[in-house]
Amino acid sequence: MSSDQNLSADVVIVGSGVAGSSIANELARAGISVIVLEAGPRVDRQHFVDNFRNLENKPSYQGPFPSTPWAVHPPNQMTPNQYLHTSGPNAEAYQQVYLRMMGGTTWHWAGCAWRYLPSDFELKTRYGQGRDWALKYDDLEPFYYQAEVMMGVCGPDPKVEDLGSPRQQPYPMEALPISYAAQQFRKLITEKTPYRVVHEPQARNTRPYDGRPTCEGHNNCMPICPIGAMYNGGYSVYHAEAAGAKFVPNAVVYKIERDSANKKVTAVHYYDPDKGSHRVTGKYFVIAAHCIETAKLLLVSADEQSPDGIANSSGHVGRNMMDHTGVQVTFISGDKALWPGRGPLETNVIDNFRDGDWRGDRGAYLVHMVDDNQVDFATQLAISKGYVGKDLEDQIRYLASHTVRLFSHNEALPDPDNRLTLSKTHKDALGIPHPDVYYKLPEYTVRSCEHTRGLFKDLIGLMHGTDEQWTPGYFPQDHPSGSTIMGVDPKDSVVDGHCRTHDHENLFIASSSVFSTVGTGNITLTVAALALRVADTLKKELLHA
Amino acid sequence: MTKDRHCPLVDLHTSSPNAMRLNRLTRMSRRDTLMTGMAGVGVLAVGNVVAAEPATGAEPELERFMKVSTRLTDRACLDPRIGKALYERILQSGPELKAQLSKLATLLESGNYENASAFAKAAEQADPAFKDVIHDIMTGWYRGVADGKVVVYRSALMFDVTKDAIYPKTYAAGGPFYWTTQPPEVDKPTGAPALSPSKFDVEPT
Repeated sequence: MSSDQNLSADVVIVGSGVAGSSIANELARAGISVIVLEAGPRVDRQHFVDNFRNLENKPSYQGPFPSTPWAVHPPNQMTPNQYLHTSGPNAEAYQQVYLRMMGGTTWHWAGCAWRYLPSDFELKTRYGQGRDWALKYDDLEPFYYQAEVMMGVCGPDPKVEDLGSPRQQPYPMEALPISYAAQQFRKLITEKTPYRVVHEPQARNTRPYDGRPTCEGHNNCMPICPIGAMYNGGYSVYHAEAAGAKFVPNAVVYKIERDSANKKVTAVHYYDPDKGSHRVTGKYFVIAAHCIETAKLLLVSADEQSPDGIANSSGHVGRNMMDHTGVQVTFISGDKALWPGRGPLETNVIDNFRDGDWRGDRGAYLVHMVDDNQVDFATQLAISKGYVGKDLEDQIRYLASHTVRLFSHNEALPDPDNRLTLSKTHKDALGIPHPDVYYKLPEYTVRSCEHTRGLFKDLIGLMHGTDEQWTPGYFPQDHPSGSTIMGVDPKDSVVDGHCRTHDHENLFIASSSVFSTVGTGNITLTVAALALRVADTLKKELLHA
Repeated sequence: MTKDRHCPLVDLHTSSPNAMRLNRLTRMSRRDTLMTGMAGVGVLAVGNVVAAEPATGAEPELERFMKVSTRLTDRACLDPRIGKALYERILQSGPELKAQLSKLATLLESGNYENASAFAKAAEQADPAFKDVIHDIMTGWYRGVADGKVVVYRSALMFDVTKDAIYPKTYAAGGPFYWTTQPPEVDKPTGAPALSPSKFDVEPT
């Protein structure tokens, strides 16, 4: 079927998450015509808040966000999975979740807005591990700041608390005051260990900002901030639309068309939910469809001209899959009541293991003391122990006020064998293959996780903890990256330092899929900064052409 | 009388955090609230209340469920609207539940148990199957969940038990930065479990 519409724009963007919507906003404000094709539906916050309240399994971050038949996303982190099929020695460690809907996966992020460290971009040069990026920290610094202003990031004054990523400007908002529980944790770490607890930079309002209110501490950043005090990609969608960008929901791109020389992309094709096919032409194209869907789209667009998929002359599309694999433990503190869960979810971090000479041997990591409301967990635990009546109520109070959860982000390395391919056995309602991922944890990451376990045991001891419950094995942190890796050499990488594909001069990728290494901080701010740099490149080329 | 054990019903609309804040903003005093309450429905109690529906004798099994529930929670009264919803949903979880709940009520009626623990112990001794039934009842009242479905969220008793310290997720009402203050201390409880332990599986995210 062909379309009766003639969809065309200067820039066509696939994906409306943080990356796609922020590029759309920048370009539209500069007077450039933009079409954004989003596979999933247009959605609203209150609907998800209601879904959350009616959800039995409250910790399920995907639970309030059911997918549509035409834009399926993983329903949970279970292996086997209904959509993301993982295999290999550490299949469970790559069971990522994400959302396919207008605004993208930041509907359920915790707002952690880390800049990477300068060393994260030069892992090979400094420590002989992994790769170097095809850009330096200083190249990205202005765009980090632009991303922080766009999202509304609060963070500490570097003169008081230096997070290791040099800043030309202060954070747009003052740091979030940490909870009583986090204060006590920081006091313990400061007094009893050589380490420190820092304020986590967060895309969360400590004052009214960008038409959104100050955080009220609903403790529900994941899966859904009920008042919009936390940034999500939906706000960039609103701004971009107000500036004139056109967003098309339920538009599942399935093919990238090139010219006869295979040098330039000429159009993308999408299915509507009824599988009507539409062609959208443009001068430039940006794939901003999340690490997994971006690689999937490039592979699924394979044809006689490009039998291995688009932008894949290197053979590296879908390879080098990385994540922040996590170690997690929950225990009951023997010290005074903390009552975690008053305030936002993730506010404080032990950052001593983000960088060091030991990175030649084992991966870096950071540690969150999660400020999560434990009342429901405490209730389930106390009931399972056999308490009833007044004794149950006493237990609920005690466990809810003394439960502590620690988890880490441990650094992966790019390994070409960790690979996304198209499923040969599973297809969605439109006939598009599901993604398969083979995953084996790099030894570098395993050693990092071992170190983390040792630290956690020490901390449990310091807090006189009991009833340790270790999350089995390694668990995914939903920070997939690397599937269209950045590099200077077109033979072993997919995009250059400006996120332009080596193979197609007018095709860019804006996603964590371009990361050459994954560092330790949450990936979203770096995704946004890279996207804004893509927007800057496009503006220069289109406006000065 | 079972009737006596029913709480004065809180009007969930006027007692929501937003309404409470609005009340403060509009300077509605406790006296105003009382006056409204007295003039409106004639119930003498502090706070916003509405008239409880009289306990109906038309649903004797529900009344028996309420008696078992008040005993197992060690509470003087429970909200009959929530009780009705929980009872109906618990019945959905298996064909045997109706008879089991009835038998559990018979056990309660046959003895004089001084507290929830004593009753629960006796029940598990009488029939090991009662342990799961009691779990269902506890899960219903304290988590607000029955048959794997949310029956109530904010009104689940787990939040009543902890309301001096923490808000249910999405219902915070302390205003920005309330979380920096010190919450109440909690002493280690001395009570013992009444039932034998069960496996606790943390649900996947």
